[in-house]
Amino acid sequence: MLSLDFLVGFTIFMLALIMVVSMVPGLLAGLESSGIDYDAVAYRTGVILVEDPGWPVYPPWEMNDPDHKDEIQRMGLAVSKETPNILLSAKVERFFEAGFFAPEDYRSKAIFGDIPYSYNFSLNISNPDGSYELNQTGDPLPPGYGYIRRVVKIKEPGVAEIGYDDDYNDTTLNPSIPPMFTVRLNFSQLLNQSVSAAYRIDPRTDPVTVNINMTGYLIDSNTGATLQNVTFWKMDPTRPNPRFTRIPFSYDTTDPDLYTLRIDGTQTPHSLKPDVPVNSNISLVLNPAATSLFTLDQNSILDIRFVFDDSPDQRTTLNGTYDYDDDILPVLSTGVLEVAIW
Amino acid sequence: MVNDAGQLYTMEGIAAGVIMLLTAYIVVSTTSVYTAGDTHIPDMQLEQLGSDVLAMMDTPDTNRGTSELVGFVKNGTRVMMGGNTLRDRFLAGCKMRSGDPDDNLRAQVYLSYRTTGGSVNTTPLSSPDPEFTGRENTVRVTRWVQLPTEKPPGIPIDMSNTRSKAVLVEVLLWRA
Repeated sequence: MLSLDFLVGFTIFMLALIMVVSMVPGLLAGLESSGIDYDAVAYRTGVILVEDPGWPVYPPWEMNDPDHKDEIQRMGLAVSKETPNILLSAKVERFFEAGFFAPEDYRSKAIFGDIPYSYNFSLNISNPDGSYELNQTGDPLPPGYGYIRRVVKIKEPGVAEIGYDDDYNDTTLNPSIPPMFTVRLNFSQLLNQSVSAAYRIDPRTDPVTVNINMTGYLIDSNTGATLQNVTFWKMDPTRPNPRFTRIPFSYDTTDPDLYTLRIDGTQTPHSLKPDVPVNSNISLVLNPAATSLFTLDQNSILDIRFVFDDSPDQRTTLNGTYDYDDDILPVLSTGVLEVAIW
Repeated sequence: MVNDAGQLYTMEGIAAGVIMLLTAYIVVSTTSVYTAGDTHIPDMQLEQLGSDVLAMMDTPDTNRGTSELVGFVKNGTRVMMGGNTLRDRFLAGCKMRSGDPDDNLRAQVYLSYRTTGGSVNTTPLSSPDPEFTGRENTVRVTRWVQLPTEKPPGIPIDMSNTRSKAVLVEVLLWRA
């Protein structure tokens, strides 16, 4: 006859045995230090940031405004996938921009963890002039975090500084023809694939900045000259009968997201039809958001035309074509990117 | 015959067993053991750092610029802009951080090349570190460099002086 004690005892024993066996995998989890997981996630995040340009690539993710940041899939900072450790300053600025990304954005577009990790990203840039620029986002570091440090270089956008040059000082101009200064962007030269992406200017991702110093080009520096308009023209040399056509654009609307035109260093931006006197300098920044509207490809030529009109008088001798090329790129700056995860 | 005394002993046994099981489970699951296999993590971090610094030293700052690393190797063991400067610049890159610099890093640079006899020789490019005992937990990072015909000064005479050559820059990096 089976004892009731034995039956109850055996049942409890079997239940305990099943429970213990089911706990075995969990028991071994403690043998793995938590730091290993954090270090691995920090390393992976560092690789994504430093070696990947992010997604989407064209138009680049950093061009998305706050309303469209959900379209960003991945926040890589590299110039291109062929140039690991060379970061693009526009991506860096957007990544660290205060208030643009929420903590959840960093988790879902850079860290890609299954659990909500805390993080701290910092990038210390050592400028060629010896100064340091620190970018940082995230929470203060607690003890026991996962860490990786990557040494990088940062590519800054180029600025075309146009000073006095005999080639653009045209003293033989017919006063009845308004002087016109053209800044030419030949995409087949700019996007030359034999040059590393670290040293190329791609106006579709980099801002185009033109600073014209009028000193030496003004017939009378007191009266100055009148900048009538700035227009964009394009040509595709691969088409039959190539010729420049004026690009339709909202020339009379001031939009800092697309371009900024400043005259004589004033803070108030002008539209592209300023029709105002210029006494010292013109500064135009054309953002990639505008260039992307122009539907340009690797064969296109883009002309930025500055037309001065003081008819019937002539007040400036600035006339000619300036080639915008990669010589204007500043030297790469060195930086260190640190990723901490916990 | 079954009676109450037997029942009591069984209950005590079960309670003790459950308590022992729970205790064992809690103790094992809350203990974090740093296994020998985990030591590769700091090594990997140091190796990645050194590899990054060598790659960035080999990246010209402008399109038509020259590699800083190649310039140092071309100067061989010269006092100025040679192996010692290479080591110092390399360490400066490794020590850079957002906060205080990571000061306790040390390095030693070697150059490996194919001799005129066909074998591979390794020679120090930077002066020996007086505190280096050989027992440090070092990591080794390398980078191939293309050299012109001329042999860098201070390199043993068995390096070819008549043809361009690829040499391997090796850096031993460790925490003091």
